[in-house]
Amino acid sequence: MSRQSTALRRSLSLLWSLLCLLPPVAGAQGMEHMHSAGAAHEPALGASAAFDARGRLWLVSVRDGHVRAQYSDDLGKTLSEPVTVNPLAEAIYDEGENRPKVAIGPHGQIYVTWSHPLAKPYTGYVRFARSLDGGKRFSTPVTVHHDLAPITHRFDALAVSGNGDVVVAWIDGRDEVAAKAAGTPYLGKATWYTWSHDEGATFAPERKLMDRSCECCRIALARAPDGGVAALFRGVYGDNLRDHAIAVLHTDGRPADPARATFNDWQIAACPHQGPGLAIGADRVRHGVWFEASQGPAVWYGQLDPGHTPRHTLKLGGAGASHADVAAQGKTVWVTWNQVGAGGYTLMLRVSHDGGVRFDPARAIATSKDAVGSPQLLLHDGAAYVAWNTAGGFRLVPAGSP
Amino acid sequence: MRRLLPTLLLACAIGASASAPTVMPLAAADVPALLQPPAHGERIVMLWALDCAYCEASMQALATLQRAHPAEIELVTVATDSIALRTRIAARLAAAGLPGYPARAYAEATPEQLNFLIDPEWGGETPRTLVIRADGTRIAVSGALTGAQLQQIAPP
Repeated sequence: MSRQSTALRRSLSLLWSLLCLLPPVAGAQGMEHMHSAGAAHEPALGASAAFDARGRLWLVSVRDGHVRAQYSDDLGKTLSEPVTVNPLAEAIYDEGENRPKVAIGPHGQIYVTWSHPLAKPYTGYVRFARSLDGGKRFSTPVTVHHDLAPITHRFDALAVSGNGDVVVAWIDGRDEVAAKAAGTPYLGKATWYTWSHDEGATFAPERKLMDRSCECCRIALARAPDGGVAALFRGVYGDNLRDHAIAVLHTDGRPADPARATFNDWQIAACPHQGPGLAIGADRVRHGVWFEASQGPAVWYGQLDPGHTPRHTLKLGGAGASHADVAAQGKTVWVTWNQVGAGGYTLMLRVSHDGGVRFDPARAIATSKDAVGSPQLLLHDGAAYVAWNTAGGFRLVPAGSP
Repeated sequence: MRRLLPTLLLACAIGASASAPTVMPLAAADVPALLQPPAHGERIVMLWALDCAYCEASMQALATLQRAHPAEIELVTVATDSIALRTRIAARLAAAGLPGYPARAYAEATPEQLNFLIDPEWGGETPRTLVIRADGTRIAVSGALTGAQLQQIAPP
């Protein structure tokens, strides 16, 4: 073999070795991030929808590192051309329990949040942008929390209170980090929140809602009749009992008042990836839906009574049932959930006409052979709809009137 | 460089196979074979996910158990993440010290359906440990494994 080819071989070998010594395939991670910004536990079907006062349906979804806003004036049959919310692409959690959120302000403001993963696993920032011109343009995204440590701030939830405050809650890792640095055991993470009194121009310094909450389940927010926003979220009680807590997200300085709201005693050191749903009726009844698996998988409906066992509990589904949501108007209560089987997905619905004491039998209102996202119940003009994002396209499924 | 990079990374993956496992796809059609009782001993199917903070400890505990019973235990890891993330999955397995075990990742567009086919009594929470014994009996445990659960899983 010639000296020249030996030298070439040595150079190539050295180059190869150097490349393989790079931090664990940084290039490949970057490429994978472009395909799916989050952990890709499930397909990237994270999308949210909301009606504005005129009945226009707003939809936010994610493509290639951009949150996109679209609207529909014909109940989801056709969608407008997307408007980019964040012109600068960034990684976005958009699979499983993660989805960008949209909420409408009292003057047609369009508020959008999402969670942006950082380089390390389980880390992120909660991001916010708004449109004050009916969705034509969105503001430059901001991070809503003041703590910018590269730790967990993700699983954002968004709501608008009765007086127009923008309220954002998320799962936060700072308390776990501090506890572990001090050598103190800490189960789960914490739930934190902030609010804006000025249409999202500025956000108040964030406040802790509760220590020891689940790390990987979405938070449900709902507006109460007094205009306040309440949260239902999975906590970690005692030795890893993953039951739920309910709390009002005060925006006037009052201390947080979380109380245990479910008592299934599902003891598990795991990531359930299944958060609850919440709706509060004009009669202040707190309608909750949640998943637990203390006796095998189960999706439940119940009327939550902070500190006490829920009333009128009803098992909605068992094996293959997941990701429920709930809505209430007058005496009508709608519950929906995904049911998976060997043949595909079914969107299930049950309706109560007596405030959730009794429900009509479960019925299938849509099916999909393609993967589906979590269903989201929406109310407009006295009727209920389920926003159901599938790999085959977005669907708005009518769920009936009272 | 854009075209060259995947080739180089593949070369790295092959070259580094001693430290990073090759992650194979798991599709619906592969599930019956995965759940088929082994000829002897037991197969442990460790279901985990990249976004699961509790999974690594269980994987390491099961690897230790397997090394203590190499003839009786066949250990397979299955990431419920998409096979498209095979590089990250392999890197995480290698970092967790589990390079030598067969590794699979979901290769179906409908992962919840795959969850259901693997175990209808599983809500998708991770980690999930499935033990399939040669006599056809099964044990399924959700969550990080406790010492008592590891004893229950160990071959008699």
